[in-house]
Amino acid sequence: MQGVLLGEPAVQRRAMAKSITLLESTLPSDRMLADELLTGLLPHSGKSFRLGISGVPGVGKSTFIEALGLFLIAQGHRVAVLAIDPSSTVSGGSILGDKTRMEHLSVHEKAYIRPSPSSGTLGGVAEKTREAMLVCEAAGYDVVIVETVGVGQSETAVANMTDMFVLMQLPNAGDDLQAIKKGVMELADLVVINKADIDASAATRAEAQITSALRLLGMHGHPDHAHFDEEIWHPEVIQISALLNQGVDSFWHRVLKFKRLQLAKQKFEQRRQGQAQSWMWERIDAGLKQNFRGQANVKALLPELTQMVISGQVPASTAARQLLAAYQATGFPKN
Amino acid sequence: MAFTLADGKEYVKTAIAKGMDVDDFAGRLSFFWAVGMNFYLEIAKMRAARLLWCRIMKGFEAKNPKSLMLRTHSQTSGWSLTEQDPYNNVVRTTIEAMAAVFGGTQSLHTNSFDEAIALPTEFSSRIARNTQLIIQEETHIANVIDPWAGSYMMESLTQEMADKAWAIIEEVEAMGGMTKAVDSGWAKLKIEAAAAEKQARIDSGKDVIVGVNKYKLAKEDPIDILAIDNVRVRDGQIDRLKKIRATRDTAKVQAALDALTASAESGQGNLLELSIQAIRLRATVGEVSDALEKVFGRHRADTQKVTGVYAAAYDSAEGWDQLKKEINDFADAKGRRPRVMISKLGQDGHDRGAKVVATAFADLGFDVDMGPLFQTPEECARQAIENDVHAVGVSTLAAGHKTLVPAIIEELKKQGADDIIVFVGGVIPRQDYDFLYEAGVKGIYGPGTPIPASAKDVLEQIKKALG
Repeated sequence: MQGVLLGEPAVQRRAMAKSITLLESTLPSDRMLADELLTGLLPHSGKSFRLGISGVPGVGKSTFIEALGLFLIAQGHRVAVLAIDPSSTVSGGSILGDKTRMEHLSVHEKAYIRPSPSSGTLGGVAEKTREAMLVCEAAGYDVVIVETVGVGQSETAVANMTDMFVLMQLPNAGDDLQAIKKGVMELADLVVINKADIDASAATRAEAQITSALRLLGMHGHPDHAHFDEEIWHPEVIQISALLNQGVDSFWHRVLKFKRLQLAKQKFEQRRQGQAQSWMWERIDAGLKQNFRGQANVKALLPELTQMVISGQVPASTAARQLLAAYQATGFPKN
Repeated sequence: MAFTLADGKEYVKTAIAKGMDVDDFAGRLSFFWAVGMNFYLEIAKMRAARLLWCRIMKGFEAKNPKSLMLRTHSQTSGWSLTEQDPYNNVVRTTIEAMAAVFGGTQSLHTNSFDEAIALPTEFSSRIARNTQLIIQEETHIANVIDPWAGSYMMESLTQEMADKAWAIIEEVEAMGGMTKAVDSGWAKLKIEAAAAEKQARIDSGKDVIVGVNKYKLAKEDPIDILAIDNVRVRDGQIDRLKKIRATRDTAKVQAALDALTASAESGQGNLLELSIQAIRLRATVGEVSDALEKVFGRHRADTQKVTGVYAAAYDSAEGWDQLKKEINDFADAKGRRPRVMISKLGQDGHDRGAKVVATAFADLGFDVDMGPLFQTPEECARQAIENDVHAVGVSTLAAGHKTLVPAIIEELKKQGADDIIVFVGGVIPRQDYDFLYEAGVKGIYGPGTPIPASAKDVLEQIKKALG
């Protein structure tokens, strides 16, 4: 912990890496140490701006984060990037390749980039990333970017741990807007249309379509509307070209405006307080589930009941009730 | 083949869009094929390509018959060369060279038999050259144009290849052309998936490679190889650069480079002409590309996320499932999966092997970090530390191992992470194994090492290092 807080750059980097590994560990003994570490780091955390960025593969997230990261470093910030890569559901393994597209940022002394495998459970990774953010903050990184591949569920997780959630889109995405889940669009504080240089008219079309979609969701206020409130942030849509490094400054300008408005209305703190609560509940859910699965009664019944549910002999709800009853019979065991 | 033709089509489209007449340049276009060990298929490939190129060029309304012709250079496959029992490679190269000649190549590069081990010696280069001379001057093979014409087998194979390739070319066209297909990573993904699949077929013994997975030698005798002193090469190159920088007219060079950047920005003028002007003034290739990068940005090869391909082709379950189980057990015992970083160090752009290994390791259940191309040992060590991997695997094919591998080990130590172990794969002469082991390398996996075997060894070494 001292290494994270006070270390020389090289020492700190290694201490951060080891801390995050500890947080990601699935061993119960490591979990105890991890909780101690978090308790120690907590007073030093919370001072960063937490930015979530999501989008489908190929939308240019990494290229954008590289451009943004370098822009922020030039302004005196220290930037940490936590990237979540999906693990294979078959082998459990993964390929983590984000740094290949952040060549300059990844070697900059004021940047820390850590890709993590999702390990198949998206809920689990959210929990670990949330904790890893605290490590980065304690080490003095004042902008923490959480990057995730858009696969539906992960956006919700990332939106629930960041101060601002940005959704990246391709210019042609407007054509199949239906494909974008309504739920994801509702999470977005800002929609960024990347690669606008490739086809300007398509980008403009996409901007119009997404803007009207946001408006349909009742989220995009319009200056002409009677009840438009300038003091409240309304999700916006902007065009950029990360490859040509165009639009990064205007992007950051929106982020700052968002932050200012959120702070003014105490929404910034409210959001974080809500997130801290859901963090607790996530951990309770995870702990209960782990305990449940590890309990002897449940272990004995689970394979057979699972098979019966699969084959249709027993309704899933009945199986669940039986398992819960078996679990309750011995109470919450210490393990 | 389909991708290459689609590439050519894209060039022609671009030139026409610039206002050129197709017949003014089409005759100068030239292709480049690699010719592998699938003898009949390689001949059919070149015949089919010629057929399709003619079809493509007619689509552009080329009038000059020369515009319809596909001119080509061929190179025998470096990939088919083996480190084991390497004299067999003379035979392989001969067969591939014959396929290229039967297929009607205009020019030919034959590989040296020791290229899976090191850079070629004078001796191995001479054999490679003589392979061509023998075909040309002793055999009469080159006296007949298209000797396979009329063979039912060859004609139907050619037709089949042409039809399949055409379907892919049309698919590329539907995506908006080859530039879009490359940009999206789709093309690279297809190639890498095919490579991973092939490797799995070899590792599982489905495809026979004599001396590698069948008829293996009990004992390999070392052969004479060319040793490269990387430090000297590098220093020599730096000296040359310094000399050039000192003797050229810096102001003129800068003006030429600025003109290049300005042209890239405005879209006016001929970039090639301006580049040549800059280079005539002794600007370096790096400076010219930097001048263009200012405007265009740099292409980043998309890191593939092919997974499952290797596992699907390697279905001989023996050993595979056992290893997967061991990796899962490791994850349970240690709290996370074994995590390795596969890296390419220095000026060595051969990354197919690294990609195949990464895919296979991920399929086995490793978490695999990919390093970018051309990484320095410092950058590589930093990435390994930041991501907190158990091991770094260095893939080296361009004779850089004797300097770069000790350098990464040194860097890891310097940055306080000597618990991260280092293993090496690629083209490494047996003579250098001891040197590398002494430098601290924990495993060396030459060409032909089945990936599951290397993965198993890496896992064991990681376990040992963790204690």
